[in-house]
Amino acid sequence: MKILGKITILLCGGLLLFFTSDFPDFGDANSPASTHLSPYFIEHTLEDTAVPNVVTSVLADYRGYDTMFETTVILTAGLACFLLLKIPTKEVKQRYYRHEPTGVTLRIEGDRYPDKSAVFTRIDSTWVPSDMIINFTCRILISFIQIFALYVVAHGHHSPGGGFQGGVLLGASVILFAISGNLRAAIKQFGEKTAALFGAAGVFIYVGTAALCLALGENFLNYSALAPLLGTDRIMARSHGILSVEIGVAVAVMAVMIWIYYNLSSAGKQDEGL
Amino acid sequence: MTVYISGLLIVGGLFFFLIGSIGMIRLPDFYSRLHAAGIIDTMGLLLSMSGLALLILSDFNLGNILSALKIILIVVFIYLTSPTATHAIVDAGIRAGLKPWSKK
Repeated sequence: MKILGKITILLCGGLLLFFTSDFPDFGDANSPASTHLSPYFIEHTLEDTAVPNVVTSVLADYRGYDTMFETTVILTAGLACFLLLKIPTKEVKQRYYRHEPTGVTLRIEGDRYPDKSAVFTRIDSTWVPSDMIINFTCRILISFIQIFALYVVAHGHHSPGGGFQGGVLLGASVILFAISGNLRAAIKQFGEKTAALFGAAGVFIYVGTAALCLALGENFLNYSALAPLLGTDRIMARSHGILSVEIGVAVAVMAVMIWIYYNLSSAGKQDEGL
Repeated sequence: MTVYISGLLIVGGLFFFLIGSIGMIRLPDFYSRLHAAGIIDTMGLLLSMSGLALLILSDFNLGNILSALKIILIVVFIYLTSPTATHAIVDAGIRAGLKPWSKK
């Protein structure tokens, strides 16, 4: 079975390498991309979509299909990590507790654990006392990171940014929380089910926006069809459609980032970790 | 006038960058090298960034004030995060059992 997998990978890789030679050279001025596509995008973006940032309009409008399936690929990556790594929590039969009055660490096997109280505190097997400086700084920074992430998502029309970058920032803020405190606290705030749900919801927002255009009688992903719903003209509707799609991308990327982190950092146990 | 002051600040910042990078290579152990790296992030960045902010503000209008504000924000966030990161790395080093360097 392993040999079969290797043969498949070698065959696919070989084919990809073989046909790379047919591509135009990097930066070739005579390639179709440079002679036809780029000038069109640069000249027509503003009048077509009312978005000053060419990159955003190309990403979410002109080649919206590509971005849609990129988002799906991200969700698939999260699912793959989950299916490969996740271990049911019932199989974990060992926990460490700290008896606060005496400072003694107890290892309890089986499933009779003490209740959560001021006397017993659950700790990780590689326990590091929580550091006040790091906790405090991270708590201040997380809010700023999240505000900046929302700005990056919403301001992608005018400046570098957009759904992917904003989503990564949002995910990083939760991961920073998990690193500075502990994994269980982060999972309590943003659970694994929530992450899975948000990941699927992000893709759904993207595809839903596209399908809504289809339902309103125009092409899939042609945001101009949303004009009567939004009460704007057809060009502004494309701009708003891009924003809606970017929000979907941001939600999906954020959730999948967090989900992958949970599974990787705890080796699938989601019980203790960084 | 502001151009000269900002130039002086930037040169001062670059001086600290130089000290920090020499220290990162030449100092004997992990902790003292981290100390040198900390100088780059704090003193070097503060001086060079305030020089840049002053240079922008020499042409005084709203757009430039916003740019200067962004530069100051960068400095503020680096001041919050860089010492915390250094602290966390030193903490991890001590916990992992790395002994500080001594002459013997």
